[in-house]
Amino acid sequence: MATMTPKERVQKFFKREPVDTMPVFSGMGMVTVQAISQMGIRFCDVHGSAAYLAESSKLSSDIFGFDAVIVPYDLCTIPEAMGRGCSTYQDSEAILYPTVPSKWDNLEAVEMPSDWMSQARMPLVEEALRTLVSANKYAVGGWVLGPFTLGGQVIELDLLLKGLKKDVEKVQAFMEKMTRIVIDVAKRYQALGVDYMTVREMGSGTDLLSPRMWKQLIQPYLREVFAALESPKILHICGGTDLIVEAMNDCGADALSFDQKNNLVETRKKIGNEMLLLGNFDPYGTLCLMEADKVPEVIKGCLDAGVDAVWPGCDIWPEVKSSNVEAWVRTVREFGHRPSPAVGRI
Amino acid sequence: MISEERRAEILKMLSDGVVEYQEDQVKEYSHVAVDEGLDAYDAIMNGLAAGMEIVGDLYDRQEYFVPEMLMCADALYAGLAILKPHLKKDDSKGVKGQVVIGTVQGDVHDIGKNLIKLMFEVGGFTVHDLGRDVPLEKFSEEQLRTDSEIVALSAMMTTTMMGMKRVIEMIKEKNPDVAIMLGGAPVTKDVVTLFGADGYAEGAGNAVQEAIKMIGQLRKLNRDGAPN
Repeated sequence: MATMTPKERVQKFFKREPVDTMPVFSGMGMVTVQAISQMGIRFCDVHGSAAYLAESSKLSSDIFGFDAVIVPYDLCTIPEAMGRGCSTYQDSEAILYPTVPSKWDNLEAVEMPSDWMSQARMPLVEEALRTLVSANKYAVGGWVLGPFTLGGQVIELDLLLKGLKKDVEKVQAFMEKMTRIVIDVAKRYQALGVDYMTVREMGSGTDLLSPRMWKQLIQPYLREVFAALESPKILHICGGTDLIVEAMNDCGADALSFDQKNNLVETRKKIGNEMLLLGNFDPYGTLCLMEADKVPEVIKGCLDAGVDAVWPGCDIWPEVKSSNVEAWVRTVREFGHRPSPAVGRI
Repeated sequence: MISEERRAEILKMLSDGVVEYQEDQVKEYSHVAVDEGLDAYDAIMNGLAAGMEIVGDLYDRQEYFVPEMLMCADALYAGLAILKPHLKKDDSKGVKGQVVIGTVQGDVHDIGKNLIKLMFEVGGFTVHDLGRDVPLEKFSEEQLRTDSEIVALSAMMTTTMMGMKRVIEMIKEKNPDVAIMLGGAPVTKDVVTLFGADGYAEGAGNAVQEAIKMIGQLRKLNRDGAPN
């Protein structure tokens, strides 16, 4: 049987062309402590260096056999470039992802520096992506936050949520601004040659918003984003999504990704077999907490539910157990030679 | 003295104002309650808090979501600001204790935490709010300083949840009797067991539900008298 390189496998997967086996990858962070410690650095240092980002993602894939690499790992690169700062927790011994320390206190106060795309760590992320693309070994995944989730990084979320009831026009103007930023960054990463682009509207599940509000506040802007981007483009949402699957499927993405709260069997029925379905194991529970011998059951559960690739429901927590990640990869390789609903096999 | 009929009318306007997030109505009837001599504790517990219990039911039935709850909370706060200064000293008998609350280091999401804080406040707890992105050792320090019975920790993301484990270890090491509540989207029953916490609420909404149930219990105790 012909075998493909990781990059070919992922590229063909997104074109819905037959592949040799199911790729093992994600649209969210996949860096591991195993790679970080092999590099002899601390997790808090990895975010500030293009070389560290590129090397840690590549090493994680080398160690565990992933088909793709993803950078960056934190949500703060754009807010930081917008002038909101970034806490990296240099003094903490534990693994902590950077956060945005300050937010604008009202919707109208949001002002973008004209050269924000060249500020803070934006150039560094681009350099890391260029390095990974030119290495030509793994598929390279780019990602951006969706407009609402990005908005929640730079403004108090309650202002946005309450604003929808009290001040719709201001909220709409703010969301348009965020949408423009998301499109600009995603297009820039696509121009660098990333193989797929994930739009993570992760904070917009129905744990927070009603389906009606989702259609009003989230869907129009996601449609705008996906209309502006080239394929392949993926929409990922964490948390409750069962009530908005059809609406998500109507945003213009090529693939949908869900976390463990989604009922994949029902979702597959709703979206049909043409749409790429990605998901949906609990990354922390499966890769950090569980005994390794239980992992195959979880992965097979995703396969049986009809996914086209087994994605974690979010970033994998870096402190994974090696044996659990190995079990994830091994199980997909073992059972992934069978065609999935949207992708055949050679 | 205010008639029973008028009392019921004011309490209903307060409750409805919270449920329908009508801040102005809640303010107006909070002033009316004070002006007409309605007991402030009665107005808070059987007007504002009763309204929030209904909000909890609406959330349960997926008629309300977080945005609505936030606006209900705003209305409730507006009423509290007017009524609280009029609480009588002996209303402190309703105080059930002290709670230290905060969002763990690495997490800047605090909507859930703020809603829970509100519920504790309405329930008569003294709340020591550490805010968000709180260095882990602060929880233990504040618990010891205030001798609080409860520490409530919130983490919105899996990536910050691990900090909770360390906080629990620090607190339990110094004071094993403290009840520790965890809240936030990634927290599950397994995590609570693994981390050695005493209770949890899954997600902001459910956390509020738990707190609302607690308020319901407090209101019941208030009506029926506390058990000896």
